[in-house]
Amino acid sequence: MSLRELFHNTTLADRILFSLMIVLSLSGIAFIKDIFPDNSTVHIYVDGHPAYILPLDKNRVVSVEGPQGKTVVEIKDHQVRVIESPCNNKLCIQTGWVRSGAVVCLPNRVVVTLGNPAKHKKTVDATTG
Amino acid sequence: MKSRQHVVDNLNSRQHIVDSKQVNTKRAVPASYIQSTVYCLLLMLFTVFSCASQKERIFKKDKILMDTLVTITVVLGSKDTAEKAIDAAFSEIEYLEKLSNHYSPDSEITLINRNAGISEVKVSHDILKLLEKALYVSENTEGAFDVTIGPVIALYDFHKKIRPDDGMIKKNLSLVNYRDIIINRDRSTVLLKRKGMLIDLGGIAKGYAADKAAETLKKQGVRSGLVAVAGDIKAFGLKPDGKPWKIGIRNPESRDKEDDIMATIELEDMAISTSGDYERFFLSGGKRYHHLLNPKTGLSAQECRSVSIITKEGAYTDAFATGVFILGPEQGLKVLEKLGFEGMIIDSHGKSHLTQGIRNKLEFKRTVS
Repeated sequence: MSLRELFHNTTLADRILFSLMIVLSLSGIAFIKDIFPDNSTVHIYVDGHPAYILPLDKNRVVSVEGPQGKTVVEIKDHQVRVIESPCNNKLCIQTGWVRSGAVVCLPNRVVVTLGNPAKHKKTVDATTG
Repeated sequence: MKSRQHVVDNLNSRQHIVDSKQVNTKRAVPASYIQSTVYCLLLMLFTVFSCASQKERIFKKDKILMDTLVTITVVLGSKDTAEKAIDAAFSEIEYLEKLSNHYSPDSEITLINRNAGISEVKVSHDILKLLEKALYVSENTEGAFDVTIGPVIALYDFHKKIRPDDGMIKKNLSLVNYRDIIINRDRSTVLLKRKGMLIDLGGIAKGYAADKAAETLKKQGVRSGLVAVAGDIKAFGLKPDGKPWKIGIRNPESRDKEDDIMATIELEDMAISTSGDYERFFLSGGKRYHHLLNPKTGLSAQECRSVSIITKEGAYTDAFATGVFILGPEQGLKVLEKLGFEGMIIDSHGKSHLTQGIRNKLEFKRTVS
């Protein structure tokens, strides 16, 4: 039976049902994407506002402008570090390379988060200590 | 003839109609069936999409406030409502920061400190509440928690690894005494009895801010959420899956790994705070100097590595975590049991000390002695 014959043998109800199944399947993709967010990204925030969302698997150096000046972030081999910061204590630079969690520069209000958020969400909702 | 032909045509056409009806009865579905199928499917679609749009989800936002990372998580149906609620909670924390930051030149605490030994200062309801709660903790920890520790803390610089000499510590210790904070509730005023006294709310303000932020979220219609002002966490309601919020307690042994968790606990309408010797510290001469200073000696308390406290109010979990850390495991546990608070103390040997009520609630990720 050819496709054309198959189509001719369907009723209007069959066609409506088929179309709705396609719509439901496509909407399912959107829901799944929402439930399982991309887990290999680096999020850089300045003063609470997102400045960059970058893939963790692409090596690069980016700089963001905080209240005190420029903070430079390096992504390399699925790790992240701060390499330049205008802050006095340079604790963000001293943190070094991180593979999960966050690097925070309090004086320049820069937060770099990374890792596997989906995996992290499954374990704990917050950490104390 | 014409009319006969016409009749024949009519008959043919009638025949055709009859034939086509016969064909349709074989293949076609009654219109009412199609209609009801369409209605059913549309109803299904509407149900799916309306549920999807109103289904409660988790929304999270970070902001640097009170010199730390504040993360607020809420369970709501829409992103816009969640953003609005979270921003309102951030504003509340910002407001409290302005009142309580003793480094800020115009905060209420700075005004109290500046007028120490001179005059009483009129303060807001929040500062009055914060100080009253601080005094409650001081009284219940025999002064192990004391917000007048300011003059001693000011001598240390944990970033530059500066440890003051004993003479300076001794001199400034004379200015530390929570009993010299005079609160007048009727006039909403605070007076520090002696000149040179300094209030530092660093050990209680973050927990209090978590409480107030949670209150703000509730006022905004949020029934479930999590406010984490660094390690001072306030949880309320349940997650969309109906489970309580799961909080990880950092392992004090892996000092450089913030995400290394030693135990987890599920919380609903409770707060938790942890004080650890790994937060602000430096090593000098083989000794560890950290920010949890004993108000009696002016030196870093040495009996514990970390203390986690669980109770309803974040202000108390925050302050008692510090107080119990300084008191040590034995005395600290007694205080917690007396007040009905839950807690876990990891002593300097790595041994865990737990209150009765927490024993079945903690899930350990590693073996503790």
